[in-house]
Amino acid sequence: MMRRFPQIAPPLIALAILLVAWELGVRYGFLKPYQFPPVSRIASGFVELSTIGFPTGVSIWSHTLTTLVRVLLGYVGALALAIPLGVVIGSFQVLDKLTAPLVVFCRSVATLSLLPLVIVWFGAGELTKVFLIGYGCFWVMLSNVIAGVRYVDPVLVRAARTFGLHGGELFRRVVLPAALPRIFAGARMALGVGFMVIVGAEMIGTIEGLGALIMEARTFYRSEITIIGMLIIGVIGFAISAGLTALERLLLPWAGNLDAVRR
Amino acid sequence: MSEILKTLRSNDLALGLIGAVAAVGVWEICARTGVVDPTLFPSPSLAISAAAQRLTAETLADNLMWSLFRVFSGFILGALAGAAIGIAAGWYRGFGTIVRPLIELLRPIPPLAWIPLAIIWFGLGEPSKLFIIFLGAFFPVVTAAYQGMRSIDPVLLRAAQTLGLDGLPLLLWVAVPATAPDLATGVRIGWGLSFGVLVAAELIAADRGLGYMIINERNTGGSVGVIIVGILLIGALNLLTDAAIGAAIKRWVGRWHGA
Repeated sequence: MMRRFPQIAPPLIALAILLVAWELGVRYGFLKPYQFPPVSRIASGFVELSTIGFPTGVSIWSHTLTTLVRVLLGYVGALALAIPLGVVIGSFQVLDKLTAPLVVFCRSVATLSLLPLVIVWFGAGELTKVFLIGYGCFWVMLSNVIAGVRYVDPVLVRAARTFGLHGGELFRRVVLPAALPRIFAGARMALGVGFMVIVGAEMIGTIEGLGALIMEARTFYRSEITIIGMLIIGVIGFAISAGLTALERLLLPWAGNLDAVRR
Repeated sequence: MSEILKTLRSNDLALGLIGAVAAVGVWEICARTGVVDPTLFPSPSLAISAAAQRLTAETLADNLMWSLFRVFSGFILGALAGAAIGIAAGWYRGFGTIVRPLIELLRPIPPLAWIPLAIIWFGLGEPSKLFIIFLGAFFPVVTAAYQGMRSIDPVLLRAAQTLGLDGLPLLLWVAVPATAPDLATGVRIGWGLSFGVLVAAELIAADRGLGYMIINERNTGGSVGVIIVGILLIGALNLLTDAAIGAAIKRWVGRWHGA
């Protein structure tokens, strides 16, 4: 603990100086408080958000829950479709070649550009947001599953064949475990994409969710609430990626060095 | 027949083309026969003719140029700033220990979440969009540049020092080229992110650009065909520019690291 202290100290001191200068800058009128809300105001804003809520009655926790549920629905739906489809496409070379340009193009379509179209289809409700998250996650996941299954080291497959494995057994015992690290990397990337899409999707046509919260707060010049919302989005994003990395190490101990898998 | 199949199988491009044409064909047929409601999801031919009716080439080109201008200027500023700060943080220890934790603190916040704050700071005009796109490019590049600097083979540096290089020349002529592959990865990711962010920024707060064009079409109750053409155009633009940047990077990095 003591030995790590000197490493953390300089950035902490720098951060503290920055925050104090910020606070003083606002107090003495160099910075406009609605543009740069000082720490004290952010703190009191947080208390307000977690008790009264913004808009009144909707606390920060319920915003967070709304956003998380939306992301999870779209994400799980995308994975449930992309994994079996990707395994099938990846297993047959012809299928992969037939679909490759399509997959690349659909992946290049900016997910949020679909928003106007999806609003025409489903209105501005929940389904629109879940669909957009699903779309973004689906193509990232699909291309990773296909690549994971297709680019299994051929030496592994040939060795397994030599030992008499084939068909379903070969797939289940050799191809799938070898493809899993790449599939897991895809799942991690997809969740990141989903989380990015939701923030944008919530800025239009809703008042619930973290994206809506930060946008609404701006309309009322409550920039401290915007900043709190951003920080919570950041914390969730960080927790998700750290959690998935830890989970990957736990579940796939044979993955080892992922760079080797990425060809 | 089997001969044809055999040549087809060996030709990736032909197979891919067949797949793409088949997909468009199925889409066209579904919309024509009424399996899908053509007012909700028109076929490609209907979408294009609707778009041709409602858009003049001039407005389309104008929106396109605005989008491209925004994304390129924001991306270039973000990539340059990211590269400069990342390289400096990796090279100068003191600068790195202070700057890096601050960047790590802000990095998990997706660029889109900055939109409201950007509007508060810069208003609704161009600077706020530029700032968001800037962030999209900045974070991937700064991380890649720093990581690249930290993982330089020390033998390279020591060899250069033995030959008499030191200080800034050592940084510019040895360290920076050595980080080129990492930088290239960061630039590629940054471009993708900038582009996605551009569309979102134009949807939420803009009065021109391709993103604005499609959301405006839906807000004024216009034709779904225009929206679909816009989406496909944005996708194609993303694909083309990404390929162009990939090729440019390959040439640049290839000068030092065999492709």
